Amino acid sequence: MDYIDPHLHMVSRTTDDYETLARMGCVAISEPAFWAGFDRGSVESFRDYFRQLTEFEPKRAAQYGITHYTWLCINAKEAENITLSREVIAMIPEFLGAKNVLGIGEIGLNKNTRNEATIFLEHLDLAVQYNQQILIHTPHLEDKYQGTRMILDMLIGDSRLDRSRVLVDHVEEHTIEHVLENGFWAGMTLYPVSKCTPQRAADMIERFGPERLMANSAGDWGPSKPTAIPDLIMELKKRGHSKELIRKIVFENPKQFFSQSKPFVHG
Amino acid sequence: MNTKQDILDPIVERTAHQVIADEFLIARAKILELAATLDRIERSSGDVEDSIPMNLLAQGMHILCDEEVDKAKRVQLLMSRQYDPQWQHTMSITRKGV
Repeated sequence: MDYIDPHLHMVSRTTDDYETLARMGCVAISEPAFWAGFDRGSVESFRDYFRQLTEFEPKRAAQYGITHYTWLCINAKEAENITLSREVIAMIPEFLGAKNVLGIGEIGLNKNTRNEATIFLEHLDLAVQYNQQILIHTPHLEDKYQGTRMILDMLIGDSRLDRSRVLVDHVEEHTIEHVLENGFWAGMTLYPVSKCTPQRAADMIERFGPERLMANSAGDWGPSKPTAIPDLIMELKKRGHSKELIRKIVFENPKQFFSQSKPFVHG
Repeated sequence: MNTKQDILDPIVERTAHQVIADEFLIARAKILELAATLDRIERSSGDVEDSIPMNLLAQGMHILCDEEVDKAKRVQLLMSRQYDPQWQHTMSITRKGV
């Protein structure tokens, strides 16, 4: 089955992974800008990273028939550095015309601090100013519930935002309802330990329905599985779900959401 | 556009008997992992009985055995930091005209 992985950090993965993804049915991915595993020292590091995301990575993906899209920001972890964050935010518009940029992301919170919230709000201003879609990271583990509620407060408090153009990612059992009931899209991240298993993702699909809901692997440089979406497809098949429902979650929903950005062309 | 009812085929409404038949071995393996972890802690030196992690595990296991629904969500909330609806005021976050 063809599928789209809406959240996959391919800069951290090998070319062999692209081949495996292609063999398993992946036809497109979107890659949000994120933390490299260490704090970068200057805005020039981000400029090079954004060149990698907009120039090099699409070519690498295309070798395997995979269309590569991306999102730009300074991630929540490095947002603790307000000065650097503002320099990066001021530089981002240089890249918003690139043909694979879908919007601003993955912005969000990490430890739910004042600095993180300040930079999150400044990213919202940037997205509004340039009419960009938004992809949001919610924190991990014990910080997730508090951070997700804080993020929703900031989003709901901004009347300029079109909620149908905002994806709140990494939802789990205790946050999914808040995201969906407020009109946002929700992403479930299939991680081996710290987020959600294919079985629990299938449970959430059954409980909340398939509208405005998608799944991703968020594969990166840490313990993660870039081919996690086929695991979810298998779990849904085992439970007897229809091809239509599975395709809606892994292909039609990401396509519908991304289609609100001009660069998205996947048919 | 399909509604939730349209797209969720009735075939997937498994009975409780089907679910336990499908998933007993998986649940058995997981409860054994938990039991072995507790044994490992017991065999190790030192005392963590009153520690925060042990307390959270004990409360989580209580949720598994009680009569209430939404166990996964309740375990998640148990392991979560509290949300303060007044956080923007506490952190002096102000926005104008949005």
